[in-house]
Amino acid sequence: MKNCEALIIGGSAGSLDVLLKVLPAIDTLINFTIIIVVHRKQGMDSLLCDLLSSKTTIKVKEVEEKEKILPRTIYIAPSDYHLLLEKDLTFSLDYSEKVNYSRPSIDVTFQSAAEVYTNKLVCLLLSGSNADGVNGLITVSSYEGETAAQDPTTAQVDYMPAQAILRANIDHVLTIDEMAAYINALN
Amino acid sequence: MTKKVFIFDDNSDILELCTLILEDAGYEIKTSATSNHIVDQVSAYMPDLIFMDNWLPDVGGIEATQELKSHPDLKNIPVIYFSANNDVSALAQKAGADSYLSKPFDIQTLEEIVKSHIGPS
Repeated sequence: MKNCEALIIGGSAGSLDVLLKVLPAIDTLINFTIIIVVHRKQGMDSLLCDLLSSKTTIKVKEVEEKEKILPRTIYIAPSDYHLLLEKDLTFSLDYSEKVNYSRPSIDVTFQSAAEVYTNKLVCLLLSGSNADGVNGLITVSSYEGETAAQDPTTAQVDYMPAQAILRANIDHVLTIDEMAAYINALN
Repeated sequence: MTKKVFIFDDNSDILELCTLILEDAGYEIKTSATSNHIVDQVSAYMPDLIFMDNWLPDVGGIEATQELKSHPDLKNIPVIYFSANNDVSALAQKAGADSYLSKPFDIQTLEEIVKSHIGPS
């Protein structure tokens, strides 16, 4: 996709390792927004931000309620809240029930972003052990956004990307080595 | 030889993050979500340094640390007690740990405390 406005990367078990490999190779001059939604327990948010920041010179920050969404920024969904995007290009954090046993739920963010960015949205689903994110990818496709999944043969836990490929008619299946070039070409 | 760090914590995210950070810094890492059979676990790996969480299922961090510190072959391995509890300093002292680290911490603090006990990787 050209003229992408937002890339959302979702993942669960085994996804952090992928992010640490891919982030350093992402072009610092990207003109879109990157949003990362990974399942994790509470308590280590700052360390996660710190770790991801150490791998890129692009600004990395944890999302704050009502914050304006800016390009050339990597936003991390805080633990224990669903992350939604609003039409006025701000974030909102929501403490409603878990979806797919998860909060943040990747489905919730993908679906909410699909309504905002429609065909200017790209969503990538990484390694993980449940199917959170798959329904979101189906919604993204229905709004003519682009979908991608980690090649399950390269995933520490292949269930999540395998379900995506099986059920969501994924546009691109990417090995870890292919991800950065794919992301840089979204500019 | 690569210096070895053994981390005990029941939070898998903490284990994953600390492993990624300290492996990046050049240390060898092993993790465990339980402090049961602590002497067997530690003897089998013989780390240069141990991180011990306060709240661990069954045998807690205090008891596990006390067990290590009363074992003739393991008592000299430094134990860093880590917890989000406000009383981490008192808990570490009660356990007989060599040092403590308050959660949450940043990468630099984690690397520095490791380096201060066992030197660079």
